Amino acid sequence: MTSEHNTHFGFKTVAEADKAKKVGEVFHSVASKYDLMNDVMSAGMHRGWKRFAVEISGVRSGDKVLDIAGGSGDLSKLFAKKVGTEGQVILTDINASMLAVGRDRMLDAGLQVPALQCDAEKLPFPDQYFDCVIVAFGLRNMTHKDLALAEMQRVLKVGGRLLVLEFSKVWQPLSKIYDVYSFKLLPLMGKLLAHDAESYQYLAESIRMHPDQETLKQMMVDAGLSKVDYYNLSAGVVALHKGYKT
Amino acid sequence: MFKALSTRFLQHLLTQNSWANALLQPYAGKAVQFDIASIKANIIILEDGGLVMAGETNIADATVCISASLLLRLIAQDEAAKIQIVISGDTHLATEFAKVLSNMRWDYEDDLSKLIGDVSALKISQFGRDAATGFKRNSIQLAEMLSEYWQEEKPLIAKNRLVEKFNTEVDTLRADVARFEKRLTKLTQQQLSPQHQTSDSSH
Repeated sequence: MTSEHNTHFGFKTVAEADKAKKVGEVFHSVASKYDLMNDVMSAGMHRGWKRFAVEISGVRSGDKVLDIAGGSGDLSKLFAKKVGTEGQVILTDINASMLAVGRDRMLDAGLQVPALQCDAEKLPFPDQYFDCVIVAFGLRNMTHKDLALAEMQRVLKVGGRLLVLEFSKVWQPLSKIYDVYSFKLLPLMGKLLAHDAESYQYLAESIRMHPDQETLKQMMVDAGLSKVDYYNLSAGVVALHKGYKT
Repeated sequence: MFKALSTRFLQHLLTQNSWANALLQPYAGKAVQFDIASIKANIIILEDGGLVMAGETNIADATVCISASLLLRLIAQDEAAKIQIVISGDTHLATEFAKVLSNMRWDYEDDLSKLIGDVSALKISQFGRDAATGFKRNSIQLAEMLSEYWQEEKPLIAKNRLVEKFNTEVDTLRADVARFEKRLTKLTQQQLSPQHQTSDSSH
Protein backbone atom coordinates (compact mmCIF):
# COMPACT_ATOMS: atom_id res chain seq x y z
CA MET A 1 0.00 0.00 0.00
CA THR A 2 1.41 3.42 -0.94
CA SER A 3 1.38 6.46 1.29
CA GLU A 4 -1.08 8.06 -1.16
CA HIS A 5 -3.71 5.62 0.08
CA ASN A 6 -3.08 6.32 3.73
CA THR A 7 -4.78 8.89 5.89
CA HIS A 8 -4.71 10.00 9.50
CA PHE A 9 -6.87 8.63 12.27
CA GLY A 10 -6.06 10.98 15.11
CA PHE A 11 -2.26 10.94 15.28
CA LYS A 12 -2.08 7.45 13.74
CA THR A 13 -1.71 6.70 10.04
CA VAL A 14 -4.18 4.17 8.70
CA ALA A 15 -5.30 2.93 5.30
CA GLU A 16 -7.97 5.15 3.76
CA ALA A 17 -10.32 2.21 3.50
CA ASP A 18 -10.06 1.61 7.25
CA LYS A 19 -10.68 5.17 8.48
CA ALA A 20 -14.47 5.20 8.05
CA LYS A 21 -14.69 1.87 9.88
CA LYS A 22 -12.53 3.09 12.76
CA VAL A 23 -14.45 6.39 13.06
CA GLY A 24 -17.64 4.33 12.97
CA GLU A 25 -16.39 2.25 15.92
CA VAL A 26 -15.60 5.41 17.91
CA PHE A 27 -19.04 6.91 17.40
CA HIS A 28 -20.80 3.61 17.91
CA SER A 29 -19.01 3.45 21.25
CA VAL A 30 -19.91 6.99 22.37
CA ALA A 31 -23.43 7.26 20.85
CA SER A 32 -25.40 6.53 24.01
CA LYS A 33 -23.52 9.12 26.09
CA TYR A 34 -22.77 11.57 23.28
CA ASP A 35 -24.97 14.41 24.54
CA LEU A 36 -23.86 14.09 28.14
CA MET A 37 -20.21 14.13 27.11
CA ASN A 38 -20.71 17.09 24.80
CA ASP A 39 -22.28 19.06 27.64
CA VAL A 40 -19.54 18.12 30.10
CA MET A 41 -16.64 18.65 27.69
CA SER A 42 -17.78 22.03 26.39
CA ALA A 43 -19.44 23.19 29.61
CA GLY A 44 -22.66 23.44 27.60
CA MET A 45 -21.09 25.80 25.07
CA HIS A 46 -21.81 23.48 22.14
CA ARG A 47 -25.47 24.47 22.39
CA GLY A 48 -24.53 28.16 21.98
CA TRP A 49 -22.23 27.37 19.03
CA LYS A 50 -25.01 25.45 17.30
CA ARG A 51 -27.58 28.18 17.97
CA PHE A 52 -25.16 30.73 16.53
CA ALA A 53 -24.75 28.57 13.39
CA VAL A 54 -28.52 28.54 12.93
CA GLU A 55 -28.68 32.34 13.36
CA ILE A 56 -25.92 32.86 10.80
CA SER A 57 -27.52 30.47 8.27
CA GLY A 58 -30.21 32.93 7.15
CA VAL A 59 -32.60 29.99 6.75
CA ARG A 60 -36.22 31.06 6.44
CA SER A 61 -39.62 29.44 6.41
CA GLY A 62 -40.03 27.02 3.51
CA ASP A 63 -36.29 26.38 2.98
CA LYS A 64 -34.72 22.94 2.44
CA VAL A 65 -31.88 22.12 4.85
CA LEU A 66 -29.47 19.18 4.87
CA ASP A 67 -27.86 18.33 8.21
CA ILE A 68 -24.79 16.19 7.48
CA ALA A 69 -23.22 14.11 10.26
CA GLY A 70 -26.15 15.38 12.30
CA GLY A 71 -25.78 12.66 14.91
CA SER A 72 -28.01 13.36 17.83
CA GLY A 73 -30.03 15.88 15.84
CA ASP A 74 -29.45 19.11 17.83
CA LEU A 75 -29.20 21.21 14.68
CA SER A 76 -32.00 19.45 12.83
CA LYS A 77 -34.28 20.26 15.73
CA LEU A 78 -33.39 23.97 15.61
CA PHE A 79 -33.65 24.10 11.80
CA ALA A 80 -36.99 22.26 11.78
CA LYS A 81 -38.46 25.10 13.87
CA LYS A 82 -37.02 27.69 11.46
CA VAL A 83 -38.22 26.16 8.20
CA GLY A 84 -41.68 25.38 9.54
CA THR A 85 -44.12 22.94 8.00
CA GLU A 86 -43.55 24.29 4.48
CA GLY A 87 -39.83 23.58 4.62
CA GLN A 88 -37.82 20.40 4.90
CA VAL A 89 -34.91 19.27 7.05
CA ILE A 90 -33.10 16.00 6.34
CA LEU A 91 -30.89 14.49 9.02
CA THR A 92 -28.04 12.31 7.78
CA ASP A 93 -25.15 10.47 9.38
CA ILE A 94 -22.85 7.69 8.24
CA ASN A 95 -23.11 6.05 11.65
CA ALA A 96 -26.29 4.06 12.32
CA SER A 97 -25.95 4.24 16.11
CA MET A 98 -25.69 8.03 16.13
CA LEU A 99 -28.48 8.38 13.59
CA ALA A 100 -30.77 6.21 15.69
CA VAL A 101 -30.24 8.57 18.65
CA GLY A 102 -31.09 11.58 16.45
CA ARG A 103 -34.10 9.91 14.82
CA ASP A 104 -35.55 8.98 18.23
CA ARG A 105 -35.06 12.47 19.55
CA MET A 106 -36.85 13.96 16.53
CA LEU A 107 -39.76 11.58 17.08
CA ASP A 108 -39.87 12.43 20.79
CA ALA A 109 -39.98 16.12 19.92
CA GLY A 110 -42.86 15.49 17.49
CA LEU A 111 -40.82 16.64 14.51
CA GLN A 112 -41.09 15.11 11.06
CA VAL A 113 -37.44 14.97 10.10
CA PRO A 114 -36.38 12.11 7.82
CA ALA A 115 -33.20 10.39 9.07
CA LEU A 116 -30.99 8.93 6.37
CA GLN A 117 -27.81 6.90 6.71
CA CYS A 118 -25.40 8.02 4.02
CA ASP A 119 -21.80 8.88 3.25
CA ALA A 120 -21.14 12.62 2.92
CA GLU A 121 -18.67 11.87 0.12
CA LYS A 122 -21.48 10.34 -1.98
CA LEU A 123 -24.66 12.23 -1.13
CA PRO A 124 -27.82 10.58 -2.50
CA PHE A 125 -29.48 13.88 -3.48
CA PRO A 126 -29.95 15.64 -6.82
CA ASP A 127 -27.93 18.71 -7.84
CA GLN A 128 -29.12 22.10 -6.58
CA TYR A 129 -31.68 20.79 -4.12
CA PHE A 130 -30.94 22.47 -0.75
CA ASP A 131 -30.97 26.10 0.38
CA CYS A 132 -28.59 25.32 3.21
CA VAL A 133 -26.22 22.46 3.98
CA ILE A 134 -24.61 22.21 7.39
CA VAL A 135 -21.99 19.89 8.80
CA ALA A 136 -21.25 20.30 12.50
CA PHE A 137 -18.36 18.50 14.15
CA GLY A 138 -18.32 15.96 11.34
CA LEU A 139 -15.96 17.14 8.62
CA ARG A 140 -12.80 16.24 10.52
CA ASN A 141 -13.88 12.59 10.61
CA MET A 142 -14.31 12.37 6.85
CA THR A 143 -11.60 10.57 4.88
CA HIS A 144 -11.72 12.80 1.77
CA LYS A 145 -12.73 16.24 3.00
CA ASP A 146 -12.31 17.76 -0.46
CA LEU A 147 -14.73 15.24 -1.99
CA ALA A 148 -17.23 15.79 0.80
CA LEU A 149 -17.10 19.58 0.38
CA ALA A 150 -17.54 19.22 -3.38
CA GLU A 151 -20.59 17.01 -2.81
CA MET A 152 -22.09 19.53 -0.41
CA GLN A 153 -21.53 22.27 -3.00
CA ARG A 154 -23.19 20.10 -5.67
CA VAL A 155 -26.45 19.62 -3.77
CA LEU A 156 -26.73 23.34 -2.93
CA LYS A 157 -28.97 25.62 -4.98
CA VAL A 158 -27.38 28.70 -6.50
CA GLY A 159 -27.40 31.25 -3.68
CA GLY A 160 -27.44 28.42 -1.13
CA ARG A 161 -25.11 28.35 1.86
CA LEU A 162 -22.72 25.78 3.23
CA LEU A 163 -21.97 26.04 6.94
CA VAL A 164 -19.13 24.11 8.53
CA LEU A 165 -18.99 24.14 12.33
CA GLU A 166 -15.84 22.45 13.50
CA PHE A 167 -13.08 22.51 16.10
CA SER A 168 -10.25 24.71 14.93
CA LYS A 169 -7.01 26.37 15.90
CA VAL A 170 -7.29 28.01 19.30
CA TRP A 171 -5.94 31.49 20.08
CA GLN A 172 -2.16 31.06 20.58
CA PRO A 173 -1.90 32.27 24.24
CA LEU A 174 -4.46 29.64 25.24
CA SER A 175 -2.89 26.76 23.33
CA LYS A 176 -0.91 25.31 26.29
CA ILE A 177 -3.96 25.21 28.57
CA TYR A 178 -6.01 23.79 25.72
CA ASP A 179 -3.43 21.03 25.16
CA VAL A 180 -3.55 20.03 28.82
CA TYR A 181 -7.33 19.99 28.68
CA SER A 182 -7.44 17.98 25.44
CA PHE A 183 -4.82 15.34 26.15
CA LYS A 184 -5.10 14.94 29.92
CA LEU A 185 -8.57 15.98 31.05
CA LEU A 186 -10.62 14.91 28.05
CA PRO A 187 -9.56 11.21 28.06
CA LEU A 188 -9.98 11.19 31.84
CA MET A 189 -13.53 12.51 31.55
CA GLY A 190 -14.20 9.97 28.81
CA LYS A 191 -12.98 7.22 31.11
CA LEU A 192 -15.04 8.37 34.08
CA LEU A 193 -18.28 9.28 32.33
CA ALA A 194 -18.40 7.05 29.26
CA HIS A 195 -15.92 4.36 30.33
CA ASP A 196 -14.12 4.96 27.05
CA ALA A 197 -10.86 6.90 27.29
CA GLU A 198 -9.63 5.82 23.83
CA SER A 199 -12.50 7.36 21.91
CA TYR A 200 -11.96 10.69 23.62
CA GLN A 201 -8.23 10.46 23.03
CA TYR A 202 -9.12 10.13 19.32
CA LEU A 203 -11.38 13.18 19.61
CA ALA A 204 -8.50 15.32 20.92
CA GLU A 205 -6.08 14.00 18.29
CA SER A 206 -8.51 14.44 15.41
CA ILE A 207 -9.08 18.07 16.42
CA ARG A 208 -5.33 18.74 16.18
CA MET A 209 -5.14 17.09 12.75
CA HIS A 210 -8.04 19.12 11.35
CA PRO A 211 -7.18 22.07 9.06
CA ASP A 212 -7.02 25.50 10.69
CA GLN A 213 -9.40 28.37 9.86
CA GLU A 214 -7.56 29.71 6.80
CA THR A 215 -6.84 26.25 5.34
CA LEU A 216 -10.46 25.20 5.61
CA LYS A 217 -11.52 28.49 4.05
CA GLN A 218 -9.26 27.76 1.08
CA MET A 219 -10.62 24.20 0.85
CA MET A 220 -14.14 25.61 0.61
CA VAL A 221 -13.06 28.03 -2.10
CA ASP A 222 -11.43 25.13 -3.96
CA ALA A 223 -14.70 23.20 -3.69
CA GLY A 224 -16.39 25.99 -5.66
CA LEU A 225 -17.85 28.12 -2.89
CA SER A 226 -17.53 31.88 -2.88
CA LYS A 227 -17.61 34.73 -0.34
CA VAL A 228 -16.25 32.28 2.24
CA ASP A 229 -15.91 33.81 5.68
CA TYR A 230 -15.47 32.38 9.15
CA TYR A 231 -16.23 33.19 12.78
CA ASN A 232 -13.95 32.21 15.63
CA LEU A 233 -16.03 31.03 18.56
CA SER A 234 -14.66 30.71 22.10
CA ALA A 235 -11.22 32.03 21.10
CA GLY A 236 -10.97 29.74 18.10
CA VAL A 237 -11.73 26.48 19.91
CA VAL A 238 -14.45 26.23 17.30
CA ALA A 239 -14.81 28.02 13.96
CA LEU A 240 -17.93 28.48 11.88
CA HIS A 241 -17.26 28.77 8.15
CA LYS A 242 -19.89 30.00 5.73
CA GLY A 243 -19.68 29.97 1.95
CA TYR A 244 -22.12 30.60 -0.89
CA LYS A 245 -22.76 28.74 -4.11
CA THR A 246 -22.82 31.29 -6.92
CA MET B 1 -18.22 36.02 22.14
CA PHE B 2 -18.78 39.69 21.29
CA LYS B 3 -19.93 38.77 17.80
CA ALA B 4 -22.28 36.10 19.07
CA LEU B 5 -23.84 38.51 21.58
CA SER B 6 -24.09 41.36 19.07
CA THR B 7 -25.66 39.01 16.55
CA ARG B 8 -28.17 37.87 19.16
CA PHE B 9 -29.06 41.51 19.90
CA LEU B 10 -29.39 42.37 16.19
CA GLN B 11 -31.66 39.38 15.65
CA HIS B 12 -33.73 40.41 18.65
CA LEU B 13 -33.96 43.96 17.30
CA LEU B 14 -35.22 42.62 13.98
CA THR B 15 -37.82 40.45 15.69
CA GLN B 16 -39.20 43.63 17.26
CA ASN B 17 -38.94 45.52 13.94
CA SER B 18 -40.11 42.82 11.52
CA TRP B 19 -41.01 45.46 8.87
CA ALA B 20 -37.26 45.80 8.25
CA ASN B 21 -36.79 42.21 6.96
CA ALA B 22 -38.56 42.88 3.68
CA LEU B 23 -36.56 46.08 3.11
CA LEU B 24 -33.23 44.36 3.78
CA GLN B 25 -33.86 41.11 1.86
CA PRO B 26 -32.96 42.57 -1.58
CA TYR B 27 -29.45 43.20 -0.23
CA ALA B 28 -28.91 39.66 1.12
CA GLY B 29 -25.26 38.64 1.32
CA LYS B 30 -24.01 42.25 1.30
CA ALA B 31 -21.95 43.69 4.15
CA VAL B 32 -21.75 47.24 5.48
CA GLN B 33 -18.95 48.48 7.70
CA PHE B 34 -19.79 51.08 10.32
CA ASP B 35 -16.81 53.12 11.47
CA ILE B 36 -18.22 55.09 14.38
CA ALA B 37 -15.78 57.10 16.49
CA SER B 38 -12.99 54.72 15.32
CA ILE B 39 -14.93 51.65 16.46
CA LYS B 40 -15.52 49.38 13.48
CA ALA B 41 -18.36 46.91 13.06
CA ASN B 42 -19.18 44.93 9.93
CA ILE B 43 -22.78 43.89 9.59
CA ILE B 44 -24.06 41.38 7.01
CA ILE B 45 -27.59 41.15 5.66
CA LEU B 46 -28.84 37.57 5.64
CA GLU B 47 -31.02 35.79 3.12
CA ASP B 48 -34.02 36.04 5.46
CA GLY B 49 -33.47 39.79 5.87
CA GLY B 50 -31.79 39.26 9.23
CA LEU B 51 -28.66 40.99 10.41
CA VAL B 52 -25.51 39.42 11.79
CA MET B 53 -22.01 40.55 12.60
CA ALA B 54 -19.55 39.67 9.84
CA GLY B 55 -16.80 37.08 10.30
CA GLU B 56 -13.05 37.51 10.55
CA THR B 57 -12.27 37.90 6.85
CA ASN B 58 -15.27 39.70 5.45
CA ILE B 59 -14.80 42.56 2.99
CA ALA B 60 -17.52 45.19 3.27
CA ASP B 61 -19.45 46.32 0.19
CA ALA B 62 -20.01 49.77 1.69
CA THR B 63 -18.62 51.86 4.54
CA VAL B 64 -20.37 54.40 6.73
CA CYS B 65 -17.95 56.62 8.62
CA ILE B 66 -19.05 58.82 11.54
CA SER B 67 -16.45 60.75 13.54
CA ALA B 68 -16.73 61.21 17.31
CA SER B 69 -17.67 64.90 17.01
CA LEU B 70 -20.28 64.11 14.38
CA LEU B 71 -21.69 61.37 16.58
CA LEU B 72 -22.30 63.89 19.37
CA ARG B 73 -24.13 66.16 16.93
CA LEU B 74 -26.22 63.25 15.67
CA ILE B 75 -27.12 62.31 19.24
CA ALA B 76 -28.16 65.92 19.81
CA GLN B 77 -30.42 65.45 16.73
CA ASP B 78 -28.62 68.04 14.61
CA GLU B 79 -30.19 67.52 11.15
CA ALA B 80 -27.28 69.28 9.40
CA ALA B 81 -24.89 66.66 10.79
CA LYS B 82 -26.53 63.91 8.72
CA ILE B 83 -25.14 65.27 5.45
CA GLN B 84 -21.62 65.09 6.88
CA ILE B 85 -21.73 61.29 7.28
CA VAL B 86 -19.09 59.87 4.93
CA ILE B 87 -20.32 56.96 2.81
CA SER B 88 -18.08 55.01 0.44
CA GLY B 89 -18.44 51.89 -1.71
CA ASP B 90 -22.00 50.90 -2.64
CA THR B 91 -23.64 54.16 -1.57
CA HIS B 92 -27.16 52.99 -2.41
CA LEU B 93 -26.77 49.97 -0.12
CA ALA B 94 -25.24 52.05 2.69
CA THR B 95 -27.90 54.75 2.48
CA GLU B 96 -30.79 52.26 2.51
CA PHE B 97 -29.19 50.26 5.30
CA ALA B 98 -28.51 53.33 7.45
CA LYS B 99 -32.09 54.51 6.85
CA VAL B 100 -33.51 51.17 8.04
CA LEU B 101 -31.22 51.09 11.09
CA SER B 102 -32.06 54.64 12.11
CA ASN B 103 -35.78 53.83 12.03
CA MET B 104 -35.44 50.72 14.17
CA ARG B 105 -36.53 51.03 17.77
CA TRP B 106 -35.53 48.83 20.67
CA ASP B 107 -38.67 48.11 22.68
CA TYR B 108 -36.81 47.65 25.96
CA GLU B 109 -40.04 48.10 27.91
CA ASP B 110 -41.43 44.94 26.29
CA ASP B 111 -38.22 43.01 27.10
CA LEU B 112 -38.26 44.25 30.67
CA SER B 113 -41.93 43.35 31.13
CA LYS B 114 -41.10 39.68 30.44
CA LEU B 115 -38.68 39.73 33.35
CA ILE B 116 -40.37 41.89 35.98
CA GLY B 117 -43.96 42.29 34.82
CA ASP B 118 -45.81 45.04 32.91
CA VAL B 119 -46.35 47.56 35.71
CA SER B 120 -42.78 47.52 37.02
CA ALA B 121 -41.43 47.67 33.46
CA LEU B 122 -43.58 50.71 32.69
CA LYS B 123 -42.47 52.50 35.88
CA ILE B 124 -38.77 51.75 35.28
CA SER B 125 -39.00 52.80 31.63
CA GLN B 126 -40.76 56.05 32.57
CA PHE B 127 -38.10 56.73 35.18
CA GLY B 128 -35.37 55.99 32.61
CA ARG B 129 -36.97 58.27 30.00
CA ASP B 130 -37.40 61.11 32.54
CA ALA B 131 -33.82 60.69 33.73
CA ALA B 132 -32.53 60.76 30.14
CA THR B 133 -34.57 63.87 29.30
CA GLY B 134 -33.38 65.59 32.49
CA PHE B 135 -29.79 64.64 31.79
CA LYS B 136 -30.01 65.95 28.23
CA ARG B 137 -31.59 69.24 29.36
CA ASN B 138 -29.02 69.73 32.13
CA SER B 139 -26.15 68.89 29.78
CA ILE B 140 -27.31 71.48 27.25
CA GLN B 141 -27.71 74.09 30.01
CA LEU B 142 -24.25 73.32 31.38
CA ALA B 143 -22.69 73.51 27.91
CA GLU B 144 -24.40 76.87 27.24
CA MET B 145 -23.27 78.21 30.61
CA LEU B 146 -19.68 77.12 30.09
CA SER B 147 -19.51 78.46 26.55
CA GLU B 148 -20.85 81.83 27.76
CA TYR B 149 -18.28 81.91 30.56
CA TRP B 150 -15.40 81.03 28.21
CA GLN B 151 -16.55 83.61 25.67
CA GLU B 152 -17.35 86.53 27.97
CA GLU B 153 -15.61 86.11 31.32
CA LYS B 154 -12.46 84.17 30.51
CA PRO B 155 -12.11 84.13 26.71
CA LEU B 156 -11.03 80.67 25.66
CA ILE B 157 -13.57 80.07 22.91
CA ALA B 158 -13.99 82.48 20.02
CA LYS B 159 -17.44 83.87 19.28
CA ASN B 160 -19.12 82.84 16.06
CA ARG B 161 -19.15 86.43 14.82
CA LEU B 162 -15.42 86.80 15.40
CA VAL B 163 -14.62 83.43 13.79
CA GLU B 164 -16.61 84.45 10.69
CA LYS B 165 -14.81 87.83 10.58
CA PHE B 166 -11.46 86.05 10.88
CA ASN B 167 -12.45 83.62 8.10
CA THR B 168 -13.36 86.55 5.80
CA GLU B 169 -10.01 88.21 6.54
CA VAL B 170 -8.18 84.96 5.77
CA ASP B 171 -10.09 84.68 2.48
CA THR B 172 -9.20 88.26 1.55
CA LEU B 173 -5.57 87.65 2.44
CA ARG B 174 -5.52 84.44 0.39
CA ALA B 175 -6.96 86.30 -2.64
CA ASP B 176 -4.36 89.09 -2.18
CA VAL B 177 -1.51 86.59 -1.96
CA ALA B 178 -2.77 84.81 -5.10
CA ARG B 179 -2.94 88.14 -6.98
CA PHE B 180 0.53 89.09 -5.77
CA GLU B 181 1.90 85.66 -6.78
CA LYS B 182 0.48 86.05 -10.28
CA ARG B 183 1.93 89.55 -10.63
CA LEU B 184 5.30 88.30 -9.40
CA THR B 185 5.29 85.44 -11.91
CA LYS B 186 4.40 87.86 -14.70
CA LEU B 187 7.22 90.24 -13.72
CA THR B 188 9.73 87.38 -13.46
CA GLN B 189 8.73 86.14 -16.93
CA GLN B 190 9.08 89.66 -18.37
CA GLN B 191 12.53 89.97 -16.81
CA LEU B 192 13.63 86.57 -18.11
CA SER B 193 12.37 86.91 -21.69
CA PRO B 194 15.02 89.51 -23.00
CA GLN B 195 17.84 87.38 -21.47
CA HIS B 196 16.35 84.28 -23.08
CA GLN B 197 16.27 86.08 -26.43
CA THR B 198 19.89 87.29 -25.95
CA SER B 199 21.14 83.79 -25.14
CA ASP B 200 19.28 82.44 -28.20
CA SER B 201 20.84 85.09 -30.51
CA SER B 202 24.40 84.34 -29.23
CA HIS B 203 24.26 80.76 -30.69
